[in-house]
Amino acid sequence: MGFAGDVTDGEVVRAVLGGDAERYAVLVRRYRDRYARYATRLLGSRDAAEDAVQDALVRAYDRLADCREPDKFAGWLFLILRNRCYAERRRRHGTTQPLDARADEIATEERPDGRLEQAEQMAALDASLDRLTPEQREVFVLKHMEGLAYEEIAGLTGATVPSLKMRMHRAYDRLRDLMREHL
Amino acid sequence: MTIRGLILVIVSALGASDLAAQDVAARLAGRVPVDVARAVEAIATDAAAQGLPVGPLIQKAIEGGAKGVPGDRVITAVRTLAGRLKQARDAVHGGGLTAASPDVVEAGADALNVGLLVRHVSDLTRVSRAPFDPAVTLRVAATLTALGIPPEQAARVVEDVIGSGGTPADVSGLPAEVQADLARGATPGQAVERLDRAGQGDGHRGGGAPPPPPPTGGRDKKPHDPTHKP
Amino acid sequence: MTNGYHPLVKSVLDGELPVEALPPELRAEGEEALRLLAALDRTPVTLSPALDERVMAAVRRHAASPARRAWRWLNTSRDLEVRLRVRRWTVWSGALAAAAAGIVVLLARGAAPVPNRAPTVTIRRGAPESVFVRFVLYAPSARQVAVAGTFNQWDRNAAPLVPAGASGVWTTTLALPVGQHQYAFVVDGATWVVDPTAPAIDDGFGHRNSLVAVTVRGARTL
Repeated sequence: MGFAGDVTDGEVVRAVLGGDAERYAVLVRRYRDRYARYATRLLGSRDAAEDAVQDALVRAYDRLADCREPDKFAGWLFLILRNRCYAERRRRHGTTQPLDARADEIATEERPDGRLEQAEQMAALDASLDRLTPEQREVFVLKHMEGLAYEEIAGLTGATVPSLKMRMHRAYDRLRDLMREHL
Repeated sequence: MTIRGLILVIVSALGASDLAAQDVAARLAGRVPVDVARAVEAIATDAAAQGLPVGPLIQKAIEGGAKGVPGDRVITAVRTLAGRLKQARDAVHGGGLTAASPDVVEAGADALNVGLLVRHVSDLTRVSRAPFDPAVTLRVAATLTALGIPPEQAARVVEDVIGSGGTPADVSGLPAEVQADLARGATPGQAVERLDRAGQGDGHRGGGAPPPPPPTGGRDKKPHDPTHKP
Repeated sequence: MTNGYHPLVKSVLDGELPVEALPPELRAEGEEALRLLAALDRTPVTLSPALDERVMAAVRRHAASPARRAWRWLNTSRDLEVRLRVRRWTVWSGALAAAAAGIVVLLARGAAPVPNRAPTVTIRRGAPESVFVRFVLYAPSARQVAVAGTFNQWDRNAAPLVPAGASGVWTTTLALPVGQHQYAFVVDGATWVVDPTAPAIDDGFGHRNSLVAVTVRGARTL
C-alpha cells in the first residue's frame, strides 16, 4: 500500500513494533482521510467521524502486534474503525443527528457544481441514505462511494457476497422509493 | 446367519442415540463402576436426544472416577451438568444463536457454573457477532468470574469491550490483564475499576447514560486519557 | 409505495451490466437508476489537520507508559514457568501473580520467598492444532507428581512430572490440542492439587479444577 516508491505499510508496522513509535505518523498521515467519508456517512457528522477515526488510529497503535498481515494494515484499520462506528451507533441507541443539522453540515462542503437542482438531489439522497438500515448504508457507501467490489467488501466485513447483494438490492429499492420526487 | 452377523444387524438397526450410548459405555468401561456407567449412559442418551453435547458428560464421569468420588455423587454431578448444558443451550438460543455449536453450549454451561446468570449468557451471546466467537466471549466472562470478579461486572466488562470497538484479541486478553493486576496486589474490584478507567480513556465508556451526540459546529475533542490501557 | 427496480436494472447499478444492454422497455428505468447514483455526494471528507498531532500525542504517551513497556515485555515470547509451592499435603495459596504469558511469582507463607525468576509456560508449536505446554510444580516433599485433566482423560498416570534437579521443582511438557482444558496436579498419587495461580472452577464434586486455554498463540489464562 502507499504511493509508488514510498515505504510500505508492512515496513512501517514492523518499524513501530520494533520500538520506533514516531514512524506511526506515516500510517496516520496515509489513512487519516481514507475512511473519513465512510465514517461520516455511518455516524452522520464529520465531528463524530473525526472522533471515531482518531480513536481507531490510537487503538490500532495499541493493538499493532495483533495485525497479522502488516501489509494489509489498511483493511485491519478499517475493521477497527468499523467496530468503533457501530459501537458509537449502539451507544446512541441507533439514533442519528437530526437530518436537518447533518444536511447543513454536508452542505457546507465545497461542491464542484453549484447548480441548485443538483444540490437538492444530493441533499435528498443524503437524507435517504440515512433512512437505510446500517448494513444497507454500509454496503452502499463502500461500493458506490469508496468504489470497492463486492468481494472486497465481503473480505472487509465478513459478510458473504450474496448477502451483501441482497442488502444492496433492498437499498436500491428503498432509495428509489425515497427519491421518487427527485428522479 | 452367524451370531456376530445377527449382532451387527441389530446394531445397525439401532438409532443414533443408542449408538451414542454404546460409545458412552465404551469410554466409561473400567473408569467407573458398572452401575455408574449405566446411569451416565441413560443421562447421556437423554441429553443426546435433546441435541445437547454428550462429551462433557462423559468427561465429568471419567473425572469423578479418577478422583475416587463415590458413585452416587458422580451420577449427581453428571445429571447436574446435563441440566446446566440444557439451560446454557436455551440461554444461547435466547441470545439469537439458534444453531449453537457444542463448544458454545459447553462454554455457556461453564459460565453458568461459575455464577453467571442465564441472562448474562444470552446477552453475551447476542453481542458476540462476527468476528467475535461466542464460545470465547462466554469463557472470558466465566474466567473473569472465576478470578473473583462479580458475575454482573464480568459480563459488563466483556460487553463493554465489544461494544466500544474492541477486537477479539482485546476480549481474550481480559483475563490475563486482570490476573496481572491481581498479581500486583489489586483486589478483583480494583482490577475491574482499572479496566473501566482504561475504557473511559477514549472518552466514551463508563457508567450511566450514553453521551449525547456531538454538536454539529466546532470541535470539542478532549485528548486521550493517559491511563488508557496498553 | 414505488415498485422496486427490475433485477436487470439492479445489475446495471451493480456495474455488472451496461445500461445499453437493457431491453428497450427497461431503458428508462435504467437511466433513472443511474441518475440516482449520479446524485451521490462523493465529495471527499477531510478531517481536521490537528487530528494527526492528537493521535501522535496519544501514541507517544502510550509508548512511554510503564504499563506499555511491561505489557510489551510480558508479551515477548520467552520461557515461563508455572510454579507452585506445596507444603506437605496442603494446598497453599499465598500471593498470586500471573500475566498474559503466564508469569507466576509465588511467596510461601512463613517461608523464604521463591526466587523471582521469570517462571514460564514454554510454548512451542506442536502438530497442527496443538501446542506444547510446560507445567511446573514446586513440591520438594513429594515423591511423585502428575498432571491430569480433560486433555488426558484425568489419567493420573498419563503425564508424570519429573524432578528438575534437586531444587524441588517438578516439570513436564505436553502437546495439548487447541481449546480450553481443566486440570489439576496429583501429588503422590492421591492428593489433587489445584493450581493456585490459575482461575479455578467448581468440579461438581466439592473441589475445584484449574483452567487453561490453549490457542494458536500459546497457552494463556482464559
